[in-house]
Amino acid sequence: MEDIAEYAVNYAGGLGSTYAEARVEKVVNNATTIKNGRPQFSGFLREMGIGVRLIIDGALGFASTNELSKGSVAEAVSSAASMAGAAADTLKKPVPLSDAKASRDRWVVRPKRRLGSFSVEDKLKTLFDVDKSLRSLRGVKFPARLLTLTETVTEKTFLNSEGTCVTSKVPRVSFTYMLTAYRPGKGTAQRFNKKGESCGWEILSSWDLTELVSEEARVLASVLVEGRKPPRGEIDAVLGSEVVGIVCHESCGHPFEADRILGREAAAAGESFMSVEMLGRRLGSDEVTVVDDPTIPSSYGYYLYDDEGVEASRRELIKNGVVNAFLHNRETAAELGVQSNGSARAISYSREPIVRMSNTYMDTGDYGFEELVESVSKGVYIKSFMEWNIDDRRFNQRYVGLEAYLIRKGELTQPLRNPILETTTPRLYMSVDAVGREISFSAATCGKGDPQQGVPVWTGGPDIRVRRIRLGGL
Amino acid sequence: MSPTDLVSFAVKEGRRGGADDVATVCMREEVKMIRFSNNRVTVTQAWLSSILSVMVAIRKRVAIGSVEDLSRGSVKQSLKDLIRIAESTGPNKDYAGLPRGPFKYRDSEPSLPSPEGSTLVDHVKVAVESAVSNGAERVAGALVFKRVDTEIETSAGASGSDASSYLEISVRAFCDGEASGQANSCARREEDFHPEEAGRAAAEIARRAVNPVEGKPGRYNVVLGPNVFANLLNDVMAAASAFNVEAGLSFMADKLGGKVASSSLTLIDDGTTPEGLNSRLFDDEGVPSGRTVVIDRGVLQSYLHNFSTAKKFRCSTTGNAGWIVPQPWNIIVEPGRVSEEVLLQDLGEGVYITNNWYTRFQDYRRGDFSTVCRDGLFRVEGGEIVQSLKGLRISGNLQRILRNIVELSDRRCWVKWWEVETPTLTPHVLVRDVTLTKAT
Repeated sequence: MEDIAEYAVNYAGGLGSTYAEARVEKVVNNATTIKNGRPQFSGFLREMGIGVRLIIDGALGFASTNELSKGSVAEAVSSAASMAGAAADTLKKPVPLSDAKASRDRWVVRPKRRLGSFSVEDKLKTLFDVDKSLRSLRGVKFPARLLTLTETVTEKTFLNSEGTCVTSKVPRVSFTYMLTAYRPGKGTAQRFNKKGESCGWEILSSWDLTELVSEEARVLASVLVEGRKPPRGEIDAVLGSEVVGIVCHESCGHPFEADRILGREAAAAGESFMSVEMLGRRLGSDEVTVVDDPTIPSSYGYYLYDDEGVEASRRELIKNGVVNAFLHNRETAAELGVQSNGSARAISYSREPIVRMSNTYMDTGDYGFEELVESVSKGVYIKSFMEWNIDDRRFNQRYVGLEAYLIRKGELTQPLRNPILETTTPRLYMSVDAVGREISFSAATCGKGDPQQGVPVWTGGPDIRVRRIRLGGL
Repeated sequence: MSPTDLVSFAVKEGRRGGADDVATVCMREEVKMIRFSNNRVTVTQAWLSSILSVMVAIRKRVAIGSVEDLSRGSVKQSLKDLIRIAESTGPNKDYAGLPRGPFKYRDSEPSLPSPEGSTLVDHVKVAVESAVSNGAERVAGALVFKRVDTEIETSAGASGSDASSYLEISVRAFCDGEASGQANSCARREEDFHPEEAGRAAAEIARRAVNPVEGKPGRYNVVLGPNVFANLLNDVMAAASAFNVEAGLSFMADKLGGKVASSSLTLIDDGTTPEGLNSRLFDDEGVPSGRTVVIDRGVLQSYLHNFSTAKKFRCSTTGNAGWIVPQPWNIIVEPGRVSEEVLLQDLGEGVYITNNWYTRFQDYRRGDFSTVCRDGLFRVEGGEIVQSLKGLRISGNLQRILRNIVELSDRRCWVKWWEVETPTLTPHVLVRDVTLTKAT
């Protein structure tokens, strides 16, 4: 892999590039899916190719090919160079890159139970066991069930014209499930969720998928059978870790991506309500610290070097309520006169590296769950969600609860059906008055870029309490 | 090996290894993209890839693989691995085999030559200059050229090849900070591709969108622009896929023959139209792609099927394979009878929504969802745009929206961009009683 990467970078240099990098990737993905108790298919995706990015005449060009002969790679490099060269006269100034230390390193995630050792038969048995646990419950049936186990191994070699060469190998395992619960007279309720980590199949013993999905079934039955209309208007709320995770991802992680702030993603994924001038300003209460950290061992968004060969690091985006740092790659860092903090990611050899999150979460506080709830005289606890969205400047957002309860006099009481939290980013973060001490994470696939690049991430945090937030909907 | 030899080799290897059925599709894609923002090119991109996808079935045990290393040894090993996987998996009782060929296909449409980078950059310059000369301050977007060569062979006697190509541009123009407008142009023929018009239209919406005020939540009659309706129809057509019907992902389950939309709506999936960016001669089972009326004057006529889902639903394949999940080709909405101006007059008082994004469902089976309005969003009074709005989302139910369609405009346009994956030909549409909510 290194030889062809080096050939590509040298070839780009020969064409007059002032910077060049090559990423050779080999990806093996195996998946098994059952639907409604029946195997649908098992199979694999096997990708291998090279992506080359270069700067020529001040313009940035990218090209990829999955034909790895020298001739094909030279053709791809030439294509990147000629297309970038054609765009050079549209630029007001050359595309800059921040300085980066030249690194030579290798990082790997070593699974205890390697991928490939878990046979298709074993995967099917696991999925069937999960499926069988979804029996009729309190008059609620589960007529539609879609379950998938996936394993992926990604091997990369990154090499650039500044002397960096980083190789890596990461296994990832995930389980996704989509459940539909139905009870006559009550209609349906649905749950989609995903578990995912960077590890081997040893993770199955700690996930306990049968218990996980059985619990989901109990919750769906409870929502259908007992769920009542949620209260409306201004109210206190306790948000569960899963909800806090998506909040931090959508309304902190994304708007803190410097390429959005600079307008680079304006056409599709959008821009940001944040501006460079907001660094150092207050966005939330003192209790709010939001972190993005790719270095959490076994996390779904784990990496030690980003896809520009920059060493990864923990970033505090909001620190005690104050805007502290943005997510940068080398291009945005140079634009803003800082150093990259290692946030460049590409989902495939065939995609350019752009600014991305990794594992984004709210940092822990001191409260136990009971302490969060006990001072709420009337409120709601929203533990999980299904529907959510946010505007393309990351300001106006909506989360619709799935598992949710009414809080009365400091106690969880009646299950609620679909409470709607529709609020703004500053209002939400300013309303946080207490943060739990236990943290957990959810796996997700984050979308951005054109073409779309879905990267594996964790979202997470502890349970939190928000005061006087308005529950919406008409 | 040539693509023809490759698919043939894969079928033979699969059969030799013991597979009852083998279907293979080889796709060679050439894509060039120019991304631009802040009135300049941000990055140029070019991809060249060849991928072989194979399905094997042994006693109803189905395995699917795709491989990018197309050397003889790699393909041979992949087939061995697939057969081993198929033998290990359980029988899929829904699997009904492959449709018996050979099939007769139409002739391929002419393809565009691969343009030089400078030609594509010139298209971008035209779009940006058009937007700026029409009042935009900042312009962003993406221009795409794509060519796909597809080869298919199945063990049931299907064999064919096709080539298609298109140009696509989406332009987003910004005025006065927050105000923005989006417009697209996409076409399979160069003479139908209009980047200048896309730039002008985006700027016009952005210019009208300046000085927005916060919208008020409520129930409104609305006009949905083509971008919005195309985005929603992508979800409607996903719900028409027979796989999704069975997976609990469709609000149209159990509604065949029933009224699912206003009589004004006729919705078609068409893999045959020469204008369709996603048209192809055959599906992944080798069946000639067809034209399927999914909703006829409000009545649900058909789901989208492959051979196996059709057998289960006791009908014929609609030529939409997907070996597992039937997929739409191009979404076509039959036009209405009134001009867009008359549609706004008929709206009288309400809201005109030009674009949206981030459509997410609380319950696919019920169709409960919300989506965020973006770009030009306008309050309409007396059939005239009187105020730019911001901060609203459609929070509703897809079934209700389809049923509440009042009328459609007579002019249609093709929509395909980041939020509209399946190319969609749609007019403006007037819908009554739509819930709009906002952050409070």
